[in-house]
Amino acid sequence: MTEKPTMIAFQDVHKYYGDYHALRGITATIKAGEFFSLLGPSGCGKTTLLRTIAGFEGISSGAVMIDGRNMAGVPANQRPTNMVFQSYAIFPHLTVGENVGFGLRRAGLTKDALAARVGEALDMVGLKGYGARAAHALSGGQRQRVALARALILKPKVLLLDEPLSALDKKMREQMQVELIRLQRQVGITFILVTHDQEEALVMSDRIAVMFEGEIAQLADPETLYRRPNSRKVADFIGTMNFLPASILSETGGKLEVEAQGFGKVTLEAEQAPGAASGEGAAVGFRPETLTILFEGQTATDRESMATIEEVVYYGDMTYYDVRLDGTEKPIRISMRNVFGRPVLDIGARTRVAWSPGALVLFR
Amino acid sequence: MMNASSRWAKLRQTEAANGLLMISPTALYAILMLAAPLGTIVLYSFLTDGYLEIIRDFTLANYIEAWTNELYRSVMIRSLAVAMVVTLVTVLLAFPIAYFVSFYVAPSKKSLWLFLITIPFWTSYLIRVFLWKVILGYNGVVNSGLLGLGLIDEPLTFILYNVNSVVITLAHAYAPFAILPIFVALEKIDRSLLEAGQDLGESKFMTFRRVTLPLAMPGVIASVLIVFIPTIGDYVTPQLVGGPEGRMVANLIQLQYLKLDNYPLGSAIAVSAMGIVTLVSLIFIGLNRRYLKGPK
Amino acid sequence: MMKGGWFKVYAIGYLVFLYAPIIILPMFAFNDATVIAFPLTGFSTRWFSAMLEQPTLSLAVKNSLFIAVTSAVLATTLGVFAARASTRYRFPMKAGLMGLIMLPLVLPEIIVAVSLLVVLLGLGVSLSLWTVILGHVLICTPFTIAILSSAFQSLDQSLEEAAYDLGESAASTFRLIILPLVMPGIISSLLISFTISLDEFIIAFFLAGTEPTLPVFIFSQFRFPSAVPVIMALGTVLVCLSIILLTIAEYFRRRGIAKSGGKDTGGFL
Repeated sequence: MTEKPTMIAFQDVHKYYGDYHALRGITATIKAGEFFSLLGPSGCGKTTLLRTIAGFEGISSGAVMIDGRNMAGVPANQRPTNMVFQSYAIFPHLTVGENVGFGLRRAGLTKDALAARVGEALDMVGLKGYGARAAHALSGGQRQRVALARALILKPKVLLLDEPLSALDKKMREQMQVELIRLQRQVGITFILVTHDQEEALVMSDRIAVMFEGEIAQLADPETLYRRPNSRKVADFIGTMNFLPASILSETGGKLEVEAQGFGKVTLEAEQAPGAASGEGAAVGFRPETLTILFEGQTATDRESMATIEEVVYYGDMTYYDVRLDGTEKPIRISMRNVFGRPVLDIGARTRVAWSPGALVLFR
Repeated sequence: MMNASSRWAKLRQTEAANGLLMISPTALYAILMLAAPLGTIVLYSFLTDGYLEIIRDFTLANYIEAWTNELYRSVMIRSLAVAMVVTLVTVLLAFPIAYFVSFYVAPSKKSLWLFLITIPFWTSYLIRVFLWKVILGYNGVVNSGLLGLGLIDEPLTFILYNVNSVVITLAHAYAPFAILPIFVALEKIDRSLLEAGQDLGESKFMTFRRVTLPLAMPGVIASVLIVFIPTIGDYVTPQLVGGPEGRMVANLIQLQYLKLDNYPLGSAIAVSAMGIVTLVSLIFIGLNRRYLKGPK
Repeated sequence: MMKGGWFKVYAIGYLVFLYAPIIILPMFAFNDATVIAFPLTGFSTRWFSAMLEQPTLSLAVKNSLFIAVTSAVLATTLGVFAARASTRYRFPMKAGLMGLIMLPLVLPEIIVAVSLLVVLLGLGVSLSLWTVILGHVLICTPFTIAILSSAFQSLDQSLEEAAYDLGESAASTFRLIILPLVMPGIISSLLISFTISLDEFIIAFFLAGTEPTLPVFIFSQFRFPSAVPVIMALGTVLVCLSIILLTIAEYFRRRGIAKSGGKDTGGFL
C-alpha cells in the first residue's frame, strides 16, 4: 500500500482563551482521502481544533497547514474546507435547493448549470426532487443530508463534520453512519469528524485521535485504539476495560516479565505496553470479551484460572458476569455471548476462566 | 506608525472591541441625550435661580425648599402614596389574568390573549385618560348607569377630580405592563413541579402558595417596579382627571419649568422624586432578595 | 364547572375594564350632541367632517407623522446596533451601557423631557420638531432593542458561520442571511416606535416649541368643551389606525418566529 499524501498538518498548535489553555500543543497529520475522527469528552478541545481548520478560531501559536499551505491569515471563506454544523445551520428562509446552491452564488454559473449541480448534489445524498421544498419543514435526518449536500457541492479538499449525528435518534444515527462512510468512499474527500461517541468513531473512521484536556492522548486506527490503548484514560473512554494490579519483574530483549494478580507470571511482547510501561505501580488491562467462562467439557486453548461469580447481568444476546479470580480483591467483568444451549450461571458458582497473555495490555 | 496600526488591527479582531464598536452609536446617543442631561439636572438643582438667568452659586436652598415647603412636600407624599396604591391594585388585578393565560389558556391561543391585553395600551393615551373622565364624570357612564338602575339618587361626585380617579385611570393604563412580566415568570415554571407539590401531599392551594407563588415572585417584583416607577412621574392623568387635589409631582415639575421658570427648584424636585423612586425600589428589591437568588 | 371557569369570568371582566374607554369612544364620536355625557342623542357623522376642516389639526398631523417616521427609522437603526452587540458580543461595561440605553423604559417621561429641555436651551438650540425627535428616539430605542434582541437571539450563530464557510464575506453574509431573517423584527420595531412616537405627549409638550404635534393639539383641545366631540372622532380614527398597525406588527413578529423555526413565546415587550 502506498503512503497517501498529507492533507492537514498541525504543528504544535496552541490556543488560549484568556487564561484558559484550550489546545496544548497539537501535532498531528491527517492524510488525503482519510476518514479521520476527533474523539473525546466535552470540553476536550476537539471542536476547537476542528474550528481552527475551518478558520472560525484563530490559533495562539503553531501552524495549521492544509494541503501544504499555511493557513495563518486565511479567513474561513477562502479556505478549501467546508463544514457540516452540529445544528446543521440550514438557512430557514431559503428552499432546499437554494440552501444547497448557496456556495455557488459566486461561481457565475448559468441558471441551468446551477440547477444541474444542485440536482446532482441532492441526488448524491438521497434527496432527489426535494429542491423546491421549504427548508424549515424538513426532518432532522433530511436537514443533515441538505447540510452535507451544501458542503460537498463546493468540492472542498476537506469536509469538516461537527458532531453531525448527535441530534438524531439511535436508529437514524446508525443509518447515517453507514451513509456517511459510503459517501466518503464515493467522493474521496478527506472527512474530519468530531464526536464524543466512541462507538461512532470506531465504526466510521480510518484513524482516530482521542483528545483529553487540549491534548491528543492517542492517535491510531480503531483496532489499535481498542486493542492497545496507551493509557488507562484512553482505555476507559473507549469501551470497557478491566484492570488488575501487576508488577514488572524484568525486561529483556523487548519482552516483559510481569507478575499480575489473578494471572500469575506472564510474558508480554513490547507492543502490549503501548504506553511504555516500566517500574512499579503497573496494571494489566483486558477487554471483557477476551476472557471466556469455561463450561463443562470445555478446555482452555491457552491458560485458565479459577474464579467465583459475584454478579450476573442478563442482556438478552449477551450475559455480563462480574467474577473474582482467585487471589484478587476486586471483581472483573466478562461478557459472554448467549449461544443456544448454554446455561446462564448463578451468583456464587465456581467456574474456570480461560485467558491468553496476548490479550493483556500493560499500563503504567 | 506601522506598529500602532497593526495593534489597532489586532484590537479590532477581539470580541470586546467588536462589541464596543457595535454598540457605540447607540451608547453615544444615550450618553449625550440621556446621561449628560440627567447630570445637568443634578447640577442645576444645586444652583441658584436668578431673575431670567441661573446664577452659578452652589446651594442646597432648592432642596431645603423642596423638602420643607408644605405644598411641595404634600404633593410628593401624595405622588408616592398614589403610585403605591396604583401598583398594589394593578398587580393584584393583573396576577389572576397572567395566571389564567399561562395555566388555563390553550398554548395556541396564548399569543392571541396577550395581543388582546396589549392592544389598549397602544391606543392614544391622552384619549384613553380623557375617556375615564367621561366614564367617571357627573353625567358619566358610571353615574348614569347607577342612576338608571336606581341604586343611587344623585350622581356620585367622589369618583372624579380627586385621587380615586387618578388611581383608577393609572391602574387601567399600566395593566399590560403588570401582566406581561408575571406571565413570563409563570410560563417558565416547570409544570411537573406543581404535580410534585401535590404528589408530596399538598392541597392545590398550598401547592400554589409554596411552589407557584415563590417561583412567580421575580415576575411579580418586575411588574411592581415597572408599574411603580413610571406612575409616580405621570403627568397627563393627574392633570386631566385629578383636579386640584389630585396633582402629582410631574405637574409640579412642569409648573416650575414652564410656568414659573425656576429651573433649579424644578430640578431639585425632579432629582428628589428620582431619589425617592430609586430608594423605594431598592428597599423593595432588598426585601424580596431571597426570591431573586439562584439560577436565572 | 369547566376548568378555570371562574378565572375565565374574571378574565372577561378584566378585558371589559381594559376596553371600556375604547368601546365608549366611537359612541361619542358618532353622537349628535355637543356635550360629552349620557344619554346619547342620535347618530351623526358631523364631527368627522368638522375634523377634516380643522387647519391646525392637519398641521399637527403632518408634524406628528414627520416626527414619528423619523424617530422610528433612527430608533430602529440604533436598536439594530445595540441588539446585535448585546446578543452577539461580550465586552466591558456591557451591563452599564445597556442599562443606560434601556433606562428610558422605566424613567418617567417628564424627567427625559425636562432634562433635554434644560440642555438644549443651555446650548442655545431652538426648539423645533427635531428636538422632539431627539427625545422620541431616546424613548423608542429601548422598545426597538427589546423586539430586535429576540429577533437576533433566535438567529443561530452557525448560520452566519455556514454562510461564511461557503465563501461569503462578512458584508454579504449580513445581507443574504442576517438581514432577511431579522427583517420581520425590524418591521415590527419600526411600527412600534412609530406608534409610540405618534402618541407621545409630554416630551413633545416640552420640546416642540410653538409647533403643534397631534397629542399636544389634542391636549389643548380638552380645555374647550365644544372642541371635544371632534377629538372623539379623531380618537376613533387613531384607535382604528393603531389597531391596524399593531396587527401588522404582530403578523410580522410571528412570521419572523415561524420563519426562523422558533417557538412563539409571547407578545411585545
